[in-house]
Amino acid sequence: MRALNPSMLVRMAGDRATGALLRETGTVYLLDGEVVHAESPAAPGVDVLLLARRRLSSAEWQETIDRAGARCRVGRSLVESNLLTSGELEICHLGAVFDAAFFALAPRTGPTRFRYGATHWFGPVRPLRAEVVERETRRRQELLDRIWPHPEVDSAPVVRDRAADNPAVTRRQRAVLDLADGIRTPFTMARLLGRPAFHTLVDVRRLAAAGHLRTPRRAAAAEPSPIPAWVADLSADPDISLLRRLRDALEATL
Amino acid sequence: MANIEICLKEATTSIEGTLGVALVDYTSGMALGTLGGGKDLDLTVAAAGNTDVVRAKVRTMEMLGLKDEIEDILITLGGQYHLIRLIKGRGKNGLFLYLALDKGRANLAMARHQLKKIEAELEV
Repeated sequence: MRALNPSMLVRMAGDRATGALLRETGTVYLLDGEVVHAESPAAPGVDVLLLARRRLSSAEWQETIDRAGARCRVGRSLVESNLLTSGELEICHLGAVFDAAFFALAPRTGPTRFRYGATHWFGPVRPLRAEVVERETRRRQELLDRIWPHPEVDSAPVVRDRAADNPAVTRRQRAVLDLADGIRTPFTMARLLGRPAFHTLVDVRRLAAAGHLRTPRRAAAAEPSPIPAWVADLSADPDISLLRRLRDALEATL
Repeated sequence: MANIEICLKEATTSIEGTLGVALVDYTSGMALGTLGGGKDLDLTVAAAGNTDVVRAKVRTMEMLGLKDEIEDILITLGGQYHLIRLIKGRGKNGLFLYLALDKGRANLAMARHQLKKIEAELEV
């Protein structure tokens, strides 16, 4: 069931490579074989997390990028200009990286490639071993399946079920319930709440398991995936389409 | 640079009888950092498992209608203390420090006091 792709990450890490592992669902950045950043259209970035929690104004964020983006040290610069403490930066960045990596490395068919030399403008905060990131990604998938094995709640609009006698919810879950308007998906909710997408999925699955949210009926032949279909369309990387055309052309000649 | 690491190091050096310490995100159950532990105490397993403890208590308080917050949770074993301290403060919603102590060597009141100090230091 595990795709070859995650082991490509480990292979690149073993070569102490620097660059970006690109997939349809996200990108993982390596520096000397260690994971230093990850991003995914499904996961709110560090900026979204910090801005939504009002820890930073968008002006402060923009200034920092202008000042330090070209030198790839936005993260360190946030601490040096006393906008964040280094503990806060580390916690927030780790949260965002593991969140994005969960979606970027999700088992899914599709092209994976490695662009050597690519670095991310945020800059390293705490480098992580690739095995650790992979293991955590796997653990997270198992956790979701254990809570409520219905991946269809992850991407569908969240609909409340107001039946009586539902068990009590925690304050964090209450915030998720309050946003459930039958239109928003867990991913839009994560952005509004300034929380990692995976954390919102955990709450949504728990709330669905407890009967607070409706579980949509599984569409026939739907492939279970933690990624909503629109995510794949978002990363319309021209290189990926080129690779696809190449693959199609090669297959046609074979 | 490694702020979490420094905090965890301080916990192990300043708190007498520390067997292991971890900073844990309680929604995902992921340990953002661990120090100590070993064969007898897998801190990543402890981190994930103790999120259920915290969540159960938070839910119980909601059911009881208690409008208060958990400061810490103490679990007393035959030979160990396990102390869970929930972290408050800006942007650190949903984290806790997990500390395993040797019961014979630990001073519980001091450990609590030190853990509070370490929590505050994550801010600066």
